[in-house]
Parts: sequence; C-alpha cells; structure tokens
Amino acid sequence: MTVQMTAAPTLAPVVTIKLAATSDELLQSFALRAAVFMGEQQCPYDEEFDGNDYTATHVIMYVDGEPAGTMRLRWFQSFCKFERCVVLRRYRGLGIHHEINAWCKEFARRKGYARAYLHLQKRHMPMMEKEGFRRVDDRVFNFSDHEYYAVYCDLAPAEGAVKLDTLPMVVNRPEDRMDVEGILEKSAARGASNPHAPRVERRAN
Amino acid sequence: MSTIVQSIGGEAVTTKLAMRMEDSLQAFAVRAACFIGELDVPYSEEFDGHDFDATHIIACVGDEPVGAVRVRWFQSFAMPERLAVIQRFRGHGIGQLLIERCRMLAGSRGCNMLYVQALPDDVKYWEKHGWRRLIAEEASSGVKRIVAMVRTVDPNKPLPAAEAPESVALRREAELDASGMPLGIVSN
Repeated sequence: MTVQMTAAPTLAPVVTIKLAATSDELLQSFALRAAVFMGEQQCPYDEEFDGNDYTATHVIMYVDGEPAGTMRLRWFQSFCKFERCVVLRRYRGLGIHHEINAWCKEFARRKGYARAYLHLQKRHMPMMEKEGFRRVDDRVFNFSDHEYYAVYCDLAPAEGAVKLDTLPMVVNRPEDRMDVEGILEKSAARGASNPHAPRVERRAN
Repeated sequence: MSTIVQSIGGEAVTTKLAMRMEDSLQAFAVRAACFIGELDVPYSEEFDGHDFDATHIIACVGDEPVGAVRVRWFQSFAMPERLAVIQRFRGHGIGQLLIERCRMLAGSRGCNMLYVQALPDDVKYWEKHGWRRLIAEEASSGVKRIVAMVRTVDPNKPLPAAEAPESVALRREAELDASGMPLGIVSN
C-alpha cells in the first residue's frame, strides 16, 4: 500500500508589504491608523489625519492577505521621516513591525536617502535601539497625549539608487518595483503618435 | 426615550450626510476605530464592499467626527448598519441622534420602514427606542447571533405587514451568487 505524502502546510503567517498604490490600499492604511490611534489611543480625528496624508507615501503590510500594518513616509531634503507606524492589535507579538521598518528603510535607501528619522513614543525606545535608531538630542516633546523622542538611523548607500543619470524610463517605474519593467515601458511599444484631442469651440455655457 | 444632547462641553453636536470624500473618510475612520480597533473585527469584514452603494451619516462634536452610521436602501425598507460612536463620547445619545437622522432621511425619500440587525444583547436598547423584533422570539429558531428588528419611519403609522426579510444578504452584491460566507473572512 502506498501512502500519498503531501507537503506539510506551512503555518507561518505570510507577510507581504507594498506601497499603498490604489485608493483601496490607501483606505486600508487609513482604517488601520484609525483603529489603533483613534480606537486604542484616543487620538482625535483631526490630529490623526493631520493634513499631510496627501503629500506622503503610504506603505501597507498584509498578514495572510488581511491588512495588518501600515507606515507613512514623508520626504525631506536630508532624511525620510517614518510616521504613523501601526500594527493591528491581533497581529502584535509576531515581531512584524521589524519587517515593515526594514522594508521602509530599504525603500528609503534605494531612493538614495542616507538617513531615516522618526518621532518615537518613549516606551518604544529599547525596541528601536535594537534597530539602530538613536536620539537626535535630549529633547522630549509631546503631542496627541504622548511623549516623544526624535531619533534617527543612518542608512547604507544603495547601489543603483536613482540619480540624475538614471535611465528616464527606470525613474518612471512603480517605486516599490524599480527593478522590473514598468507599465510605461510597455507603452513605449506603441510608438509615439503624439495624439491630441482637437480644440473645439465651446458650444454650451 | 433617552434625551439627545444638543452640545457636549460647549461644542455643538450635529449630524451630516457624507457628501465629500473627506466626509466618507471620517465615517470610515470612526468605524475603524470602533470595530477594528476596539472590537477586533478584521478589515475585510468591516469594509465589506457595500460602502460605495450606501449613504453615510456622521455625527460631530464641534468639528470632530465622533459617530457614524451607514444606510443601505432596499425596495421596502432602509437599513441602518455599522452604527458606531467613539468610546469617550458614548452615553450622550449620539447613536440615537444618528438613527433619528436616518429616520428623517428615509422619510424624505418616501420610505416607511427601517430595518436593523441587532446583537442579542442590544435588543432591549432597540426596543426601548420603539423597535420591535421582526419575528417573535419564540418563533425564531435556536441559536441566533443577530436579531432582525424593524420600526416605522412615521411612529403614528402601523408597521406594514412585514415586508422585511428575516435576514438580508450580507455578502457583496456582486457575489450574491457565490456560495458561503463573505470573501476575505479571517476567522478568529
């Protein structure tokens, strides 16, 4: 008698991280932040959604396909600022915040940034020290009912980071998939017919 | 009936229909805070695919969004659901204010019945506010996790012979033919 052996299913959660690139993914990011900051930490809506969401980059993390964590990145001249980092309560204790931190560091590094900066709730200092963050100075400040330190981490220079002489069509690629051909490179196969809608007289007011 | 507050801490309590993107985001944020943050509902169940064929109503204290409800429209009734009030603003009747706004809106659209699906523990609350079970308790079978309840939009009119179903499909409408539970469920 033969026994059919099948591979044992892996029980480890599957973590995937990507840029929030659609309105649905953006909504997922916002919902996770609302869940944690408004739901758990009593942050008022206007402080959580502070006006910087539409000038920022949002990163979304999934565990087995379910939205589980997010981070907001803002880009300054000399550093990338990590903000609004969230891991949903049911996914805590798996250590997956390290994964989203590492992903964001790598993302900033490949954009050519040499430094990541963030405002850290005091209680998280030991955790982030392990990730190479240290305090900018001795200042302690508070907003939205929590005390913060400013901390930063140096990022190793990335080979192949985008520079002025990077191929133009590489610069156009989706930013979290800079090493694979993008949609616009595919469009190049159509050639350049320079289409424009003809200008028409406005007929109604 | 509980009294419905006009103001909290000197800030006016108001309701508004979601008419701009930002309003919808406020409604979604309040629900995420309550259902995902507090009650540990998975994202894919909370945002179930009906948010863009529904009407959203938001309650504000001053400028701060603190409550939300979603209304779906059926041929013979309007269905308020996803009623949420941020924890620290509870106990002021903001939920009733939102339901009242639903009732007025339904009335203005010529709808004469409201239908909700209540958790068994909340049935008394709804009954206190003039709702009744669609199916008498003894008639409903065994273990039920939700209770269908109805009320008329105009309290002076009798309920029409129950046209509301005992339960409505909670699946995405595009998936009504698919069998089983809503897609994307993560079991607890």
